[in-house]
Amino acid sequence: DTWRYAFEEAMDEVQGVFAQKFKEEVEANSDHEIQLFPFGTLGESADTMEQAQSGILQFVDQSPGFTGALIPEAQIFFVPYLLPQNEEALQNFFRNSKAIHELFPPLYAEQGLELLTMFPEGEVCMTTQEPVHSPEDLEEVKFRVMTNPLLVESYKAFGATPTPLPWGEVYGAMQTGIIQGQENPRFFLNSTKMYEVTDVITCIGHNNFTTAVMANKDFYDGLSDEDKEVVNNAIDAAFEYILDYQAELDAESFDKIKEAKPDMEINILPEEERKAFMETADSVEQKFLEIGGPNAQEILDQMKQDLADASEAASGGAESGEAATDEAATDGAATDDAATDDAATDEAATDDAASDEAAEGAEAEPAEEQPAGN
Amino acid sequence: MTLDDKHAPTPDPDVIAAAEATALDDDIDDSKYVSGLPGILGVIDVAIARIEAVLLAVGVLLMAVNTMANVIGRFVIGESLFFSEELNRALIILITFAGISYAARHGRHIRMSAFFDAMPFRMRKTMMVVISVVTSLAMLLLAWYSMDYVLTQASRGRLLPALQVPQWWIIVWAPLGFFLTGLQYGLTAIKNMLDKDIWLSTSTLEGYDDSVEEEV
Amino acid sequence: MTWLIFGSMIVLLLLGFPMMIPLIAGSLIGFVGLFGGFGQLDTMIQQILGGIRPASLIAVPMFIFAADIMTRGQSATRLIDLVMAFVGHFKGGLAIATAGACTMFGAVSGSTQATVVAVGGPLRPRMLKAGYNDSFILALIVNSSDIAFLIPPSIGMIIYGVVSGTSISELFIAGIGPGLLILVMFSIYSYIYASRNGVPTLEKASWGERWQALLRALWPLGFPAIIIGGIYGGVFSPTEAAAACVMYALFLEMIVFREMGMKQLYATAKSTGLITAVVFILVGAGAAFSYVISFAQIPQHILGAIGIDQMGQYGVLFTISIAFFVGCMFVDPIVVILIFVPIFAPVVQSVGLDPVLVGTIITLQVAIGSATPPFGCDIFTAIAVFKRPYVEVVRGTPPFIVMLLLVAVLLIFFPQIALFLRDLAFNK
Ligand code: NA
Ligand code: NA
Repeated sequence: DTWRYAFEEAMDEVQGVFAQKFKEEVEANSDHEIQLFPFGTLGESADTMEQAQSGILQFVDQSPGFTGALIPEAQIFFVPYLLPQNEEALQNFFRNSKAIHELFPPLYAEQGLELLTMFPEGEVCMTTQEPVHSPEDLEEVKFRVMTNPLLVESYKAFGATPTPLPWGEVYGAMQTGIIQGQENPRFFLNSTKMYEVTDVITCIGHNNFTTAVMANKDFYDGLSDEDKEVVNNAIDAAFEYILDYQAELDAESFDKIKEAKPDMEINILPEEERKAFMETADSVEQKFLEIGGPNAQEILDQMKQDLADASEAASGGAESGEAATDEAATDGAATDDAATDDAATDEAATDDAASDEAAEGAEAEPAEEQPAGN
Repeated sequence: MTLDDKHAPTPDPDVIAAAEATALDDDIDDSKYVSGLPGILGVIDVAIARIEAVLLAVGVLLMAVNTMANVIGRFVIGESLFFSEELNRALIILITFAGISYAARHGRHIRMSAFFDAMPFRMRKTMMVVISVVTSLAMLLLAWYSMDYVLTQASRGRLLPALQVPQWWIIVWAPLGFFLTGLQYGLTAIKNMLDKDIWLSTSTLEGYDDSVEEEV
Repeated sequence: MTWLIFGSMIVLLLLGFPMMIPLIAGSLIGFVGLFGGFGQLDTMIQQILGGIRPASLIAVPMFIFAADIMTRGQSATRLIDLVMAFVGHFKGGLAIATAGACTMFGAVSGSTQATVVAVGGPLRPRMLKAGYNDSFILALIVNSSDIAFLIPPSIGMIIYGVVSGTSISELFIAGIGPGLLILVMFSIYSYIYASRNGVPTLEKASWGERWQALLRALWPLGFPAIIIGGIYGGVFSPTEAAAACVMYALFLEMIVFREMGMKQLYATAKSTGLITAVVFILVGAGAAFSYVISFAQIPQHILGAIGIDQMGQYGVLFTISIAFFVGCMFVDPIVVILIFVPIFAPVVQSVGLDPVLVGTIITLQVAIGSATPPFGCDIFTAIAVFKRPYVEVVRGTPPFIVMLLLVAVLLIFFPQIALFLRDLAFNK
């Protein structure tokens, strides 16, 4: 059969790379053919999602943050500091998160979608005209955000003036000065040429852009066991591939930006400077609990637990979280390599950690920055 | 200022008049609109026409005010209106679908009439019936499926992110607009079958868009 | 199915059906054919609604509204009088000024449709009075407006830049050369046209008259100030500048000049809404049609058959030009860029073409295609706004298309037209 797969980015961006890998795997292991539809060719993200629901498309990639209109809980991926800041822990998180693997699939199923996987696309960083080292530096900065209440709340809490603007107008608006800042994953800062119209990149470790691949549920349920296995294996292969790929891409994107614009200032904020931003997360969590639908509390709690587990597994269950964050802060190839090498061992480690999550969860690094009251 | 070239061709006064007629003379007077429907249906139709007109005007004005309010908010107070873009999106759908029906009433839809105009009267008249019937059926078909689309959206419970209202609220104009447009073209077909003249819509005689003779 | 789709569209168009019907029929045949029945027509509706969703489209009704208010009142007349006081005594002066105004307005507003309305609306009656032929005027307005695609900011270039991974700054600078070249060619043509057709010139205005004209135009000069100052000064996005112009126009005509009352305000808003609807339903139907083309992978099939990877640099450039030109005759330019750029990307890379040059050529083709029959949104806009028949709007087009295609060919053989400024600015 010919299966159709739409995603939100261009062919050579992360979602496109994932889709190509998936296509390659499926076509190598079955007689099915996959047609890929990059961003915009079948409409916007919300459109392709509906087309997957109605069965025109068999597969679709939509970032859960944008799925909020249908599954309010999915907006959790816009709440800052819920994902590990270090690469190794991040990979652990996506492999093992109970929220992703157990809590979300039924919510997607209610919308007629089979959640196949979620994966990270890269650390979200800000680009601005002036250096940012603390929330004070964002005061008076008109910061472009997507029209999502949680992003708006986040940047309010960070001290900026959140400003909604359609994506098509962002480049021009940055050039003329309507806005002075915007955020996106690292590779996107490179591919959308945002560095051409801004001078400073700042990474505060608040998020890693997450995306999800889904299948039409009736289509998926109707597949033979053999075909299901082909699909699942292809998803797994693409998932493993993309974890390494995105980790390298994060470093490479900044190298490319540096090459294209040598005087671009890139600041990976150290732990001390991140603290002030992390302390603001609480108000965003409150907002999420308000608008995140009936399962918001459960999902939030589980995400925090998963975060703790992943961080702990990454730091071997013994070291303090400080080291992990410092590592993330130094950025660059060293971290990325270290993170990807021991994938297998990490998995084992996580299983152990998961068993005594209650005991050690509180010690893990980002969790201790978050007041217990939420 | 005067023309200093004595050999210049005199510009065609009709074309100039037509172009200069600030759209004013061309404005549609809703009080003169006559429905193609008899009796009480006609009264309802005239009322709907009025509502469409008001929606068009108010929609455009609201759009200007909304967009400006966002600028003022951002620039003066430093607070953007987050619902501004969604409201504009709602308004553009409202304007489009109130407008297609209104345009159908007054024979304002764009068409390429060059070959049509060259046909003899009887053929034109037959063609007009065919065009009206086909257009009407196409509109009614789209009305049906947009109704279906609206119901599907309502059942999925999709919300607008900033306004936090159901998304189907802003698209409900689509089935209405298509239906009323289909109705207008249907009435136009009937009018053309009953009357001796050729009608672009129930209230517009053919000839509105006849080109003025060219000089050069 | 491809032939059935395009064939029925052309036939329905020629028979005099409302223009939305050929587009809807093309989409319907596609949807029914692709999905074996009426089962997926919901998606067709989704695409129609999606077509009128982009936020930047709001600029169109706003500029229609502002231009209509200005033309009904005094603002437009006073601004044009000022221009005429300076250029009225040149052969073709008014036409050249119109082309220049379209280029400038298009450059800042970024919307070709808005340009057709905002500049064409007020200037067309004056050009008619001055003795120009209507089809020349309409073609001049539509085609000059399309220079907007090439001069920054250009949404087409931004999208090409993102999809192809090309520097948007470099694209912006590369567009200026060809954009100005087109303006120069249009100006020369206007001069020749005015001379050959004996379009009269005005007596040269004295400096005193010019001063008077300037004084009378002081208030309306706020419009260019709002648009240029507001956009480049970082106050507005182009869309917001359009709304600001509406507000300023209302302020001038209702309060300063007292030309307009509530009743006329209502009539103007209603007429704006009507024009908007008539154009936007075509934009929406066009989006549904684009979906069919995209879903059925029609371009891929056609391009796969002609063996583009066997061609050299010139062959590739000509094929790209033709593909975009033909594509934009039927489908919205942005969609054409999104679909075609990834298809051509590998071959552009393998023959070693400069992606900035390719982007400039593509943008130029997109501009030409949008002004080219049968389906071009600028043509629709001109028909709706000026209330002239289709044929009359497109009749004057051929000389302009020839000039534009000439620029396209020049660009292929002399890439420096585009790359000179880029190389200068980026020290390449
Ligand atoms: Na432009
Ligand atoms: Na066209």
